[in-house]
Amino acid sequence: MSPLVISAWSATSPFGVGADPFRAGLEAGRSAVEPVDRETHPGPFEQAALVPEFTAARYVGKKGTRTMDRVTALAVTTVGGLVKDLTDELAAHPEQTGLVLGTGSGSVQSIMDFTRDSLVGERPYHVDPARFPNTVMNRAAGQGAIWHRIKGPNTTVAGGTLTGLLALSYAVRLLRGGHCGRVLCGAAEEYSTQRAWLEWHGRAEEERDTPLGEGSAVFLVESAEAAEAAGRTALAAIGAVRFRACAEPEGAATARRTLADCVRGALDAAGVGPENVRAVLPLAGGGPLATQEAAAVRDALGEARPRWTRLRDLVGDTSAAATSLQLAAALAESGDRGLAPGEAALITGVDRDGMVGCAVLTGAGARR
Amino acid sequence: MVYDDGQPPRRVVITGLGTVTSIGLGAPAFLAGLRTGRSGVKPITTFDTTGFAHANGCEVADFDPREWIHRIDTTELGRATQFSVAAAGMAVADAGLTPQELGERRVLVSVGTTDAESGDLDGLARTQLDEGPERWAPGVVRRAQAGRLSSAVVRELGLVDVEALTIPTACAAGNYAIGSGFDAIRSGEVEAALCGGADAVCRKTFAGFYRLGTIAPEVCQPFDKDRKGILTGEGAGVLLLESLESARARGARIYAEVLGYGLNCDAHHPVAPDQDSLARCMEVAHRNAGVKAEDVDFISAHGTGTRANDVTEAGAIRQVFDTPPPTISIKSMIGHSMGAASALAAAACALAITEDFIPPTVNHRETDPECALDCVPNEARAARLDVVQNNALAFAGNNAVLILGRVREAA
Amino acid sequence: MTTTQQLSADDRARIKDIICDILEIEPDDMTDTSRFKEDHEADSMGAIEILSQLERAFGTDIDQAELATMVNLEAVVRVVEAAVAAKSAQAS
Repeated sequence: MSPLVISAWSATSPFGVGADPFRAGLEAGRSAVEPVDRETHPGPFEQAALVPEFTAARYVGKKGTRTMDRVTALAVTTVGGLVKDLTDELAAHPEQTGLVLGTGSGSVQSIMDFTRDSLVGERPYHVDPARFPNTVMNRAAGQGAIWHRIKGPNTTVAGGTLTGLLALSYAVRLLRGGHCGRVLCGAAEEYSTQRAWLEWHGRAEEERDTPLGEGSAVFLVESAEAAEAAGRTALAAIGAVRFRACAEPEGAATARRTLADCVRGALDAAGVGPENVRAVLPLAGGGPLATQEAAAVRDALGEARPRWTRLRDLVGDTSAAATSLQLAAALAESGDRGLAPGEAALITGVDRDGMVGCAVLTGAGARR
Repeated sequence: MVYDDGQPPRRVVITGLGTVTSIGLGAPAFLAGLRTGRSGVKPITTFDTTGFAHANGCEVADFDPREWIHRIDTTELGRATQFSVAAAGMAVADAGLTPQELGERRVLVSVGTTDAESGDLDGLARTQLDEGPERWAPGVVRRAQAGRLSSAVVRELGLVDVEALTIPTACAAGNYAIGSGFDAIRSGEVEAALCGGADAVCRKTFAGFYRLGTIAPEVCQPFDKDRKGILTGEGAGVLLLESLESARARGARIYAEVLGYGLNCDAHHPVAPDQDSLARCMEVAHRNAGVKAEDVDFISAHGTGTRANDVTEAGAIRQVFDTPPPTISIKSMIGHSMGAASALAAAACALAITEDFIPPTVNHRETDPECALDCVPNEARAARLDVVQNNALAFAGNNAVLILGRVREAA
Repeated sequence: MTTTQQLSADDRARIKDIICDILEIEPDDMTDTSRFKEDHEADSMGAIEILSQLERAFGTDIDQAELATMVNLEAVVRVVEAAVAAKSAQAS
């Protein structure tokens, strides 16, 4: 099988809807974090990075979106940014395209609003049936498929901050297993009051204040052969996606060793030397784990001096969408032609639950 | 097909089963329940059911997490995660492995779910109403994440070279998780996989199904003329997968071989299943597994017991099979355990192959002529099974069909 | 035995609004007898949503068995009238 490549991507981010505003915001190094309207967004945070002016009605359409929640609208919009280039393929063989979408725990706002209705209603079943599917965690992926008529495998993936990397790994496995010809793969996360409170309580004291962000990034993954046949530029080859677990999740010290091992393994699997890594895009989650993450990458890369992009400084903590947006940033930085042959980008993440992961993207011209 | 390492695909077998169900903890108890057609139905106790005209379910009683979970403080885990971790531990032990031995291998942990820890979110919503969100307990917040269902398995077993993947593809998630494990071993990407699904009964999901009019007042009767809907259930099923070569090398007991699976999406309606699309998914699975419809000796149906599911699923089966094989639903016994459902059904299929029997569809009085299937009513049936099919459907039209088979010598 | 009492014009308008909102159509496009499914593309979820919203709006219980009869505005009004009557009969 020819190498798997990313041949298109789309992002909905605090910089705006689409790949172009994302690239522009990133290039300008502009922070999208702003004070939030406390009326619409009560909760523990004064600031956040929201997708500007984003509503389902505006970006997905008025019809059929009355009960669509925000994370679903973000996902449907982002997937929409890619399917416009796939119209013929989707019409001819809708079952040959898969959709793999990462989520934290679905829309916690939708889930908890539904429970609230059950608790406060005159009857415990006085809930809105049309909103019940919103409370099931495969809603965004499912609506993405329904909206865009994508009939291949439709999978929802979760794994904290590593979610985007897990979605990519799952997509690679799906393609290698021959379950479809191409996969749209990424993750989405919404800003909501409930998520804000959950993040606030879930975080360690020292990372409490990092503002939340939201957004979605989706990639078209297919074989180099298929991309070429369709006339799409292979922007990057997926060199490797790897994960490891810290022996002692509570001790941040083991995160450094674990991630360094993970990165070395991934570089090795991708056939990439540390000197080829031109860009590093860490999760940079804040607190001791971020320090460990940076140290681990330096340990693994040795003398190499790549460019570092800490997306979180610009778009806030996007939780389950973070590593997908980091992948998108790696592609955004590499321009329309993608990564050059012999060039590699490293995307890393460290999760509070003791898992670490990384992806190595390489110039698609550089065959192993 | 040849993978990148130049190796042909490995054959994938099931060598360990872990089951947490309302009819028994552990594979032997689950097997005994399936053989005798035990029912796990009783009034729901997880949440206050005042105001619902009926509230039966299939909860796991007598589950003491500390009996099964040793490394992690069990209060750090929500109920679904406790089930997942317990079932994973059972599967490893059942495979005759120690966590240390497993930890020396590259492993994939993939756990499917519908609700993850929505039960904890229910509790937090209650606290929010009574005292405000400022009063939430951080420990509960931290454990209320879908990712925990797989990452806690990693922590409990002390695995290191491992990917922890949670697949919240709702009620078909178990088959998705097993499928991903199958692919990972087949390609040589990992040496072992712990895969399955877990869920816990929660108010949110009960209220939702109740509102849709799909909760049965007393019992679940798949394919019956008088079926009245689902019963929400809970539990976990985890399978240990490894290559046939690896299982043989260590002299492991092999339950069954995973022959393949198929996934597709109706891309049509958020909750109503689509017969043609489901039929296509079965065909995709048959192709992936290298079997023909006539090879299938029995089908473990999604069989929720709702009017819509059973008639659509039966229709799809008759579309694909000229003569449908016996088709049963273990949901008649353990209710609808959501993300665990197809994983537990897969475990039941593996046991059926090993023990030469077809589990019954209990609570059965008269088969719906619109379904017209032999659902092995009320009593298990002795049968030698070579190829079995496990169906799973989910909201959003997510279909997943898994094919298991008896291990034969030549591939 | 419950007697049906006629709903006020306001209540009828409220029912119509709820249904039009769910079916995403303009009130002008719906008549007393236009059919939800055939004329307004309602599906099973739409029907159950209508029942659910009406229960909440009028504080009544409507048997799901009534779904089969709730095919147009006129029929829904009759069902709600019966449900409201049943409720007041219970209360008295």
